[in-house]
Amino acid sequence: MFLTLALGLLISQTTPDTLTPPPLIPLPVTHVRAYDKPNDDGGAIVVEWELSPMDSLITKYEIFRLEGSPDAEPVSAGFVLRGTTKFEDVGVQNGKPYYYFVRSWLNSEYMDSEITSEPAIASAQWFHRGRLNALIILVFFVGVLLYFLQRAKSGGELYIRRIAGLEAIDDAVGRSTELGRPILFVLGLEPISNIATLAGLAILKRVAYKAAQYGTKLIVPCFDPVVYVAAQEVTKEGYTEAGRPDLYNEGDVFFLSYDQFGYAAGVDGIMVRERPGAVFLQGYFYAESLILAETGNSIGAIQISGTTAVTQLPFFIAATDYTLIGEEMYAASAYLSKDPLSLATIKGEDLVKLIFILLFLLGSILETISLLTGADLHFLTRFFTTY
Amino acid sequence: MKKEIPLAITFISGFLLIVALFVPHRPFGDLEQRFNDWYIIVAGFTLILGVDSLLAHHWKIIRRRQPGAFHSMALILSFIVTLVWGVWDGLKFGNPFDPASTFLRYFYTYVFVSLQATMFSLLAFFIASAAYRAFRARTSTATLLLVAAALVMLGNVPKGYLAIPPVVAITGLLLAFHFFREGQETAETTMRIVYWGTALVILVLLYPVIQFLYHNLPAVKDWIMNVPHLGAKRGILIGVALGAVAISLRIILGIERTYLR
Repeated sequence: MFLTLALGLLISQTTPDTLTPPPLIPLPVTHVRAYDKPNDDGGAIVVEWELSPMDSLITKYEIFRLEGSPDAEPVSAGFVLRGTTKFEDVGVQNGKPYYYFVRSWLNSEYMDSEITSEPAIASAQWFHRGRLNALIILVFFVGVLLYFLQRAKSGGELYIRRIAGLEAIDDAVGRSTELGRPILFVLGLEPISNIATLAGLAILKRVAYKAAQYGTKLIVPCFDPVVYVAAQEVTKEGYTEAGRPDLYNEGDVFFLSYDQFGYAAGVDGIMVRERPGAVFLQGYFYAESLILAETGNSIGAIQISGTTAVTQLPFFIAATDYTLIGEEMYAASAYLSKDPLSLATIKGEDLVKLIFILLFLLGSILETISLLTGADLHFLTRFFTTY
Repeated sequence: MKKEIPLAITFISGFLLIVALFVPHRPFGDLEQRFNDWYIIVAGFTLILGVDSLLAHHWKIIRRRQPGAFHSMALILSFIVTLVWGVWDGLKFGNPFDPASTFLRYFYTYVFVSLQATMFSLLAFFIASAAYRAFRARTSTATLLLVAAALVMLGNVPKGYLAIPPVVAITGLLLAFHFFREGQETAETTMRIVYWGTALVILVLLYPVIQFLYHNLPAVKDWIMNVPHLGAKRGILIGVALGAVAISLRIILGIERTYLR
């Protein structure tokens, strides 16, 4: 009995120490290197390493920075989770040398890697080398545009294909006039910095011009306050150009709401109460596009839509009478004004597009040949890849 | 000068932003962010103009007792209640969206969010009515759209492949019957052979097509989404990108001036 108790006491005293395994010390990361972050305005160094062989057990990697020399006091620059091999240190100054090491943490145990042998110095670059392809394309594009602008100035003939949606604008305004109903123009949800909104404003000017000629009321509820101010100016200008500034009513162009569905509810309400004969949905739209287009359809209005939002285009095509698809919207102002200089830019754009199509076809053929033969013919793919 | 100064500002701003795209070095690197900050400041002031416009518009409707004046009264009342309640709770809790604020609990959560959800939910009904019009198989392209949409829809729902045999069999039989009738009604022998041949081909291919779709519906759905759908989408996006460059250059060079008075 005594012996059993003594043995039990001995086991209870000794078990925790003898059965607890020694703490697991993590293995360090290897090949740590640090270099200036490329194509930036300085103030950043990239640290890269190869994972610890015990990466799956690692809690985190902590990156330490040593300013000036490898013997300097280490300062924690930040940490990343396991499986990560890269860290961007944004707490550095340009022109100063920095050394780094990475500490692998496993719970409360840690192991440091070797300190980088070469210092990293952050600096600002004067050219973004990853965007060289974009610069080449831009210069080429501008060259083509300038060529067509020169042709337009010298009186060359420029043909633009017929765009049904833009041709229908005058008919829609006319129909609204015949029915004695107002016209509703919606400019979408994006601010004025969005090009689709600017293109919408160009179409608004034409609609305002026609509405003034026919003496039809034009209602423009706006989502964005800046767009509202611009829409007021553009509409007034359209009425003035038509020689009917007296018909312009400032209250017909108004700010409605800065909330997406609040705006949709407001425009739907206007549609149902005012029953416009023509509805123009021109701009950048989101989920409210179909709500607006279907309500317009339900009141029997002729609807002309246009957007560059690819996700909303199917809704507009299904629910409205005419749709300006993507770039057709951008071409609207040139198409409607028939200004030779504007038309020249459309011609230039078309030529660049044709060249792009040919390059894409060539790229597809080259990639297929590479796949079949193993030859390195990826130069076009590399050229069009952004960094 | 009324037009020259805005045109000069547009040209300089546009040119600087193009330079900023290729030059990361200061002062160009953070120009876009700086311009955006300026835009936000200007937009903040225009919001006051917007609210003024909204209230003036509805006040005029009430004053003139136009039809729908009741709606305008509701709008102005809601505006005042939202403003006063929000400011009151903002002063009381430091933030109108504080978890303890009554504005958040009673007004935002139970009124505002519910109204938004109501409008959004209308989309479900509108999608059905728009889809009905879009999917009417009146032309060959509309028929293609219908077939592609049906396959994608069935491919996206759990156990959608179970619907393939009855749907495809009924559609195929109806099509075969349609071509058989067309052949019967036509007087021309060549066309009759073409119609009846088409009906025969449909009947012969029906079983293999059902078998194929039954076993490969997710792959067919993925192919539709990743090849024709993505191809068309990228085509539009490339056109939009090139169009954006063209219109931007028009604006920067002062050819496009619609935004100016």
